[in-house]
Amino acid sequence: MADPLHQFKIETVVAGPVFQVGGVHVDLSLTNSVLAMLIAVGLTVLFFALTTARASIIPGRGQVMAEGLFGLIDDMTESIIGHDGRKFLPYVLTLFLFILSCNLVGMFTYFTATSQVAVTLTLAAMTILLVLAVGFIRNGLGFFKMFVPSGVPWYILIVLVPIEVIAFIMRPVTLTLRLFGNMLGGHIVMKVFAGFIVTGLTLGGLGALIGFVSMFTIVALTTLEFLVAYLQAFVFAVLTCVYLSDVVNIGHH
Amino acid sequence: MTAATSPEANLSADDASGASFSATPSVTTVASLVPLNNAEALAHDAHATTETVGTEAHHAEEGGLPQLNTDHWAGQIVWLVVIFAIFYLLMAKVFTPRLRNVINTRGSTIAEDLANARANRDEAEAQAKQAAAETAEAHTAARKLAAEALARSNAEVAAATAVEDEKLNKRLGEAEVRIRGQRDAAMAHVSDIASETASLLVEKLTGKAATAAALKAAIGKV
Repeated sequence: MADPLHQFKIETVVAGPVFQVGGVHVDLSLTNSVLAMLIAVGLTVLFFALTTARASIIPGRGQVMAEGLFGLIDDMTESIIGHDGRKFLPYVLTLFLFILSCNLVGMFTYFTATSQVAVTLTLAAMTILLVLAVGFIRNGLGFFKMFVPSGVPWYILIVLVPIEVIAFIMRPVTLTLRLFGNMLGGHIVMKVFAGFIVTGLTLGGLGALIGFVSMFTIVALTTLEFLVAYLQAFVFAVLTCVYLSDVVNIGHH
Repeated sequence: MTAATSPEANLSADDASGASFSATPSVTTVASLVPLNNAEALAHDAHATTETVGTEAHHAEEGGLPQLNTDHWAGQIVWLVVIFAIFYLLMAKVFTPRLRNVINTRGSTIAEDLANARANRDEAEAQAKQAAAETAEAHTAARKLAAEALARSNAEVAAATAVEDEKLNKRLGEAEVRIRGQRDAAMAHVSDIASETASLLVEKLTGKAATAAALKAAIGKV
């Protein structure tokens, strides 16, 4: 049976410079992961370039789609972050479209960039660094008020503040692992059932029955994975908005 | 289940460790995702090309997942940051303003059109009101004109009738005068005829002509 983990293996497509920076191995080769990201971003940029090039008051089909995606994130930033949400719209929109397009490229090609820990970790780190930067720039040291809920007695704060701090520290970890885990698990399961089809049908008899059942299962799983591809991008964007809202509106709750 | 050795394992079969590796092929099962063959004899360099083969002897953190091999992390992160930065700039500087612009333009155009339509409707209503007023005015003017015309024609008719009446009365009067004259003349002839008849009768009865005075006295008695 084919190895269901083979799909996650990084392979070099075009060799690039390889060097060491402070003991860290940096391989700038064009790998299948990088290629998947380039295809995803390239297609998304192409889509937006085509649909907004001659943007008119009465939109065409493509423009309706582009405006729909834009409006989705615009409403989200506006409703979660509030009046200042518009400033963060480009970042959240870019993040959402990047994850969504990478997930969808993973559904149509064999490689899913968002199933790489390095990728999801970087996305989560960017978000958390942005949250920290916004928090300190807007509030200075008032940023730490975030961990001290107002109107709580001191003896509860002794317990509560460490919990809040740990929760904050865990945010990038959960952001990383949620997306990574969903993409990893979904694609492994799909490949496992795909393997069952071939193995089952070659066995014949009861195996053929299992093969047929796997066939229908994989159709259902594929539709589910399309939902997950969208949902995880959406969840990542929503959480980014929530975390930004926490630091933008520190004094307001 | 037939074992599928990783192609890379065969590629690395030129050294002694690779040979031992291909001689005892690593079998991975789907259920466990953990290689059955621990490949303890695997050389240190082999793990870079055969991540799916268990190398926990060298790196416990790598497990079975290719993603956890940190060799490709730095490259991926650098590429991701560059791609993401370009994507972000395009989104922030080109596409977001474009979409924001077209959505705002649409909103203002719709508002403007609505305002125009409302103004047009108000204007039309004002014009309709004005037209109704003009119609009413024209109605009263026409009614007045008709009344005047009627009065004038009545007066004319009355005047004409009066003139005709007068003319007719005058002719009537003349006719009456003439008739009276003729009757008087006729009545005058009546006495002449009477005296003549009486004289003839007297002459026939008496054989003697009566005198004019006697006749006159006799007729005067009648």
